[in-house]
Amino acid sequence: MNLGTRKLLDRSFTALGFGSIVVMGLMLLVVLVPIVTNGIGALVFRGTVEHRRMLYNEFHRGDLAELRSEIARSESCRREIYGMLDAFEAELAGMDEQRQAEYREKYAQVQASLRALLGPLPHDEAPALARLRYGQTRWDKAEEKLRDLQLEKKWDYSNPDEMAKDYFVSRAAGFEGTSLVRLFPYVEKNIDRLLQPRWTFYWGFITDSSVDAHFFGGIWPEIQGTLFLALGAMLFAFPLGVVAAIYFTEYARESFLNSLLRSANSTLAGVPSIVFGLFGLTFFINTLKVSESKSVLAGSLTLAIMILPTIIRSAEEAILAVPKTYKEASLGLGSTKWNTIVTVILPAALPGILTGGVISLGRAAGETAPIIFTAAVSVGSAIGLADVFSSPTPALSWNIYNLASEHEAAAEIRHVQYGMVLSLMTIVMLLNMSAIVLRARISKKLKG
Amino acid sequence: MNGEGIATEGRSPAFVVSARKRTLQKITKSAGESVLFLVAAFVAIIVLFIFYFVARDAIPFFQIRGFSEFFTDTRWYPADDPPVFGALAIIYGSLMVTVGSALIAIPMGISAAICLSDVLPFSVRQYVKPVIEMLAAIPSVAFGFFALVILAPLLQNYGGPLLMWAWWLIASPLLLLVSVVLSELITSRISDEKGRKRAQKATLALFSAVAVMFLFLVGRQLQSIEILTGTNALNVSIILGFMALPTIVSVAEDALQAVGRDMREGSYALGATRAETIVKIILPAASSGILAGVILGIMRALGETMVVWMASGNSSHIPDPWFNYLDSIRTLTATIAGDMGEADQVTGSARFHVLFAMGLLLLVISFVSNFISERIVVRQRKVLSGQ
Repeated sequence: MNLGTRKLLDRSFTALGFGSIVVMGLMLLVVLVPIVTNGIGALVFRGTVEHRRMLYNEFHRGDLAELRSEIARSESCRREIYGMLDAFEAELAGMDEQRQAEYREKYAQVQASLRALLGPLPHDEAPALARLRYGQTRWDKAEEKLRDLQLEKKWDYSNPDEMAKDYFVSRAAGFEGTSLVRLFPYVEKNIDRLLQPRWTFYWGFITDSSVDAHFFGGIWPEIQGTLFLALGAMLFAFPLGVVAAIYFTEYARESFLNSLLRSANSTLAGVPSIVFGLFGLTFFINTLKVSESKSVLAGSLTLAIMILPTIIRSAEEAILAVPKTYKEASLGLGSTKWNTIVTVILPAALPGILTGGVISLGRAAGETAPIIFTAAVSVGSAIGLADVFSSPTPALSWNIYNLASEHEAAAEIRHVQYGMVLSLMTIVMLLNMSAIVLRARISKKLKG
Repeated sequence: MNGEGIATEGRSPAFVVSARKRTLQKITKSAGESVLFLVAAFVAIIVLFIFYFVARDAIPFFQIRGFSEFFTDTRWYPADDPPVFGALAIIYGSLMVTVGSALIAIPMGISAAICLSDVLPFSVRQYVKPVIEMLAAIPSVAFGFFALVILAPLLQNYGGPLLMWAWWLIASPLLLLVSVVLSELITSRISDEKGRKRAQKATLALFSAVAVMFLFLVGRQLQSIEILTGTNALNVSIILGFMALPTIVSVAEDALQAVGRDMREGSYALGATRAETIVKIILPAASSGILAGVILGIMRALGETMVVWMASGNSSHIPDPWFNYLDSIRTLTATIAGDMGEADQVTGSARFHVLFAMGLLLLVISFVSNFISERIVVRQRKVLSGQ
């Protein structure tokens, strides 16, 4: 091969390396950016008068006088709409059987659309579920519902070789010739007045409990649950891990038993997370009976044994990084081995140990599989500190899965799901970034 | 220091410890060391416990239903009457996404590790490593959410064009490179300088034309593919590949760094380019460490639960044809997570125990891979120190 080709190969090899790293960075961006932008949308959004009404009724927050005047402003438009509905119903009653049947179904759909937009109609029974008591609280969803009102989605099955294609028909066209046809342009023109959107910073998203399965309200129980579980896991794993690391670095001699223990450590690190969940279920709950059924205690114990190997590994590295001269100087001054460890080595290794601990804390907060069987429930209020030994708790990681995959109206509460993912990732990223900063400061100190 | 006191006139010499105190010291020292040993042994005890308790709840399944149904039947109907517990399709699904993620993670991971260890200057490395660590820190349920809510609709609505763009991006530089090298090799025999250059240009033009035609043909085929559902094996393989990447990159980078500077310097001194040095000398030397890292990364992909539960489609069947990654599949981890909710109510039944059987299978695979990976590292350490 001549030199030119070899150089070309060399350069393309380098390009391949760069390309891989660029792709990784792009993937990080592609994953983070939508989550951050949509997650912030759970906190900062254009909220409607229905949102403020919900906040007042459910959480007793907000200025009643201002709310009343807003409702009064939208009421005048609403009365027009209700009047149109009443007029149409009178018209329906006067039609013959066949035409009535034709219009009934279409009219029911229009009513459903209006309910989704504005809340219960005057002649409705008081709804039991909170989600039906209010119209759209968010302006972006309100625009979606408005489009639902104006256009009906139909499916075109004509081509047998292809999947059915969707297309839209104007609903107003279906009511041509009746009095209801003016409803649609009226709603469209007055939607601003009907809902009065305003930029809202809903900080309650972080501090409120959820109302009616996350249709309204916030995610505080989940955040608290995650914090309880993660801190509980650290409570068990951190002391055990540091002590084990001290043993491995200072006391363990080269023997078969100790190399066995070391490989046990890396074996534990490789166990799949769902198997930890199975173990937690069968050992902590079914055998040891640390709690009747799921509980924060069982979940924390399971998470603790999952993060133990990482803590041991990072503590080992931190202790090994302490210069030998420190230990030798201390021993030379006549200190005992244990005293040296406690007063000289551990403090010197502490930043490194803390870094590892912080990263493990982040991992424990983000894990889902170990807590599915041992600690997590889908709905619930924030548990008190005294209940950690006996009751399960909602948690961010589990509830993200639950809301995205198993919730009956997952598409309606996308903003809540994004908000949860953003909260979880903020917690984890903050922890990791503090670990990185800690590590940078240590390496700067060690360099001198 | 436990001295009995500074010597004064007529007293015993300074810094003498009584026999009783010395035995006390010895007892506390050995007691303390035993406590430390017990704490460290705790880890090994946990591993044994995990194996014992998972196996304890898994064995009843094989006692009730035997081995052949689980490993050879593809029909998974645990709720039917009579129930069928054929896990072959589920095992196949796990294998499928693991292989898929390996195909993505191994080439990218090794090239990224090479770039980090040999190409990038130290200052840039300090900025790149946090990027990789952040990728590793993202919780799996966040990846699963991304796969379900963002990637799946993207694949479903724009699948064909996306595949075509990916094909063009990946294949065109590769094919171009191949044409250059081929034209180079073929015309190397011609001794006449000018003639060789002309022949080279001609063959290069020919090969590039063929390559471009090939790219277009395959691209058009890909563009017309209609992806029926976005939650499929391809989706999961991509995400799992990116999740396994950080592990592979960090372990491979350590292995590459461990190969000392002397080998590199010797190779450069002999006139090799950086690519040749890395490919022919450094990679083989670091191969055991890289292999260990690859095994660890693949194990992470195999044991991952949330991403596959949310985005694989959870359809227990072997795709038709067997390599169709655009079809939904089901994995062992997702089955354990998903079926336990109903199975837990009937604790004594085969439905409950079969999930532990799957867990045992995963556990055994992880133990074996860990063992192999450790043996590889130990063997390489022996080889390197023996040289």
